[in-house]
Amino acid sequence: MKPEPPADDFEAVLQPLWARAQSGDEGAYREALRRIADRLRSFLRRRMQSLPDDVEDLVQETLLAIHLQRGTHDPEVPVSRWALAIARHKLIDLWRRRGRREALHDPLDELAEGDHPAVMEELPVRRDLETLLAGLPQAQRQAIVLIKLEGLSVAEASQRSGVSVAALKVQVHRGLKRLAELVRKAP
Amino acid sequence: MKTNDLIDLLATGAGPAPRGVAARRLAPAAALGALASAAGALGVLGPIPMELFVDPGPWLKLAYAGGLAVGAAWLAARLGRPVARIDGPVRLLLLAVALMALLGALALLAAPPGGRLAALLGHSWQRCPFNVLALSLPALAGALWALRGLAPTQPRAAGLAAGLLAGALGALGYALSCTELSPAFIAVWYSLGIGLAGALGCAMGPLILRW
Repeated sequence: MKPEPPADDFEAVLQPLWARAQSGDEGAYREALRRIADRLRSFLRRRMQSLPDDVEDLVQETLLAIHLQRGTHDPEVPVSRWALAIARHKLIDLWRRRGRREALHDPLDELAEGDHPAVMEELPVRRDLETLLAGLPQAQRQAIVLIKLEGLSVAEASQRSGVSVAALKVQVHRGLKRLAELVRKAP
Repeated sequence: MKTNDLIDLLATGAGPAPRGVAARRLAPAAALGALASAAGALGVLGPIPMELFVDPGPWLKLAYAGGLAVGAAWLAARLGRPVARIDGPVRLLLLAVALMALLGALALLAAPPGGRLAALLGHSWQRCPFNVLALSLPALAGALWALRGLAPTQPRAAGLAAGLLAGALGALGYALSCTELSPAFIAVWYSLGIGLAGALGCAMGPLILRW
């Protein structure tokens, strides 16, 4: 197994990928999200030892939040710090919803993150994309299926569906927001 | 759903990150809040006579409230981001409050000893903070809505910023119908009204700023 590089190396690799992703490089965005997901998994697993079955669900919820809020990343702030702040927020939100106040006293530091072995393999999740998509309004589901799952360009998707380009973009964004709400409210 | 499938879904067709998200949400909320505050002040409380604008008093109120509104909007925009850098806006807010306190203190010193209490209390000190608070409520609703769509990770602080912004906009409107002219009055009672709105926002933050 490859040892996890120290925290600064993680940021050093992630930062240029993220900068390209923010300006629209899809491949860099995918790679950055994969790296962030691995980091989130080890971050959350350490803090959710009483809820191991929820770790991957929270990784996914955090990734959705990161995507929907990518406009709030301040280039002056390290990407890893920003992503972990969102993860911490989602973790606190989960504890609050579960009524587990005492768990807030768990160590919430991020400094020694790089010292811990990364959990590379995915953990099992309980929710299913099909089921979640079925919970979306038809227009949002169609936009997500065409653009996000089939990978059509917005122009192609517009031709196929007869919906305008602007409307499709809005439906994708609303659909992902709705998806994030469904994920958050799932048991 | 596999996490890698989710990542593919998020990345596919993602395009560049949206720009100026904080400004795009906060600016309309602040503009509508300011309009509501001005409309409430002029429509319900009534405007001050135009002659009063030859005195620096109303202009001082507008400048103080406007300065605080800029600082608080900046602070709210920063606190809408995870890992907020708040030094700049906090310094601006403290500077505005300190300048106003200095002007108020100088005005009290310049007043004849017997007239100091009258300058401080004016004729409406009991109403002023609550009028500012009442006029700030539409802006508070708007600012909290705007922040809820961003990513505040410190809900109390973000709520406080939203409250201070709303309070400053409430004071901006109230300046149009308040006939007090003493800087000492403004420094104390306007600040108190804005602070009350800030406290209300701070209390509401954890309840509303969930995402």
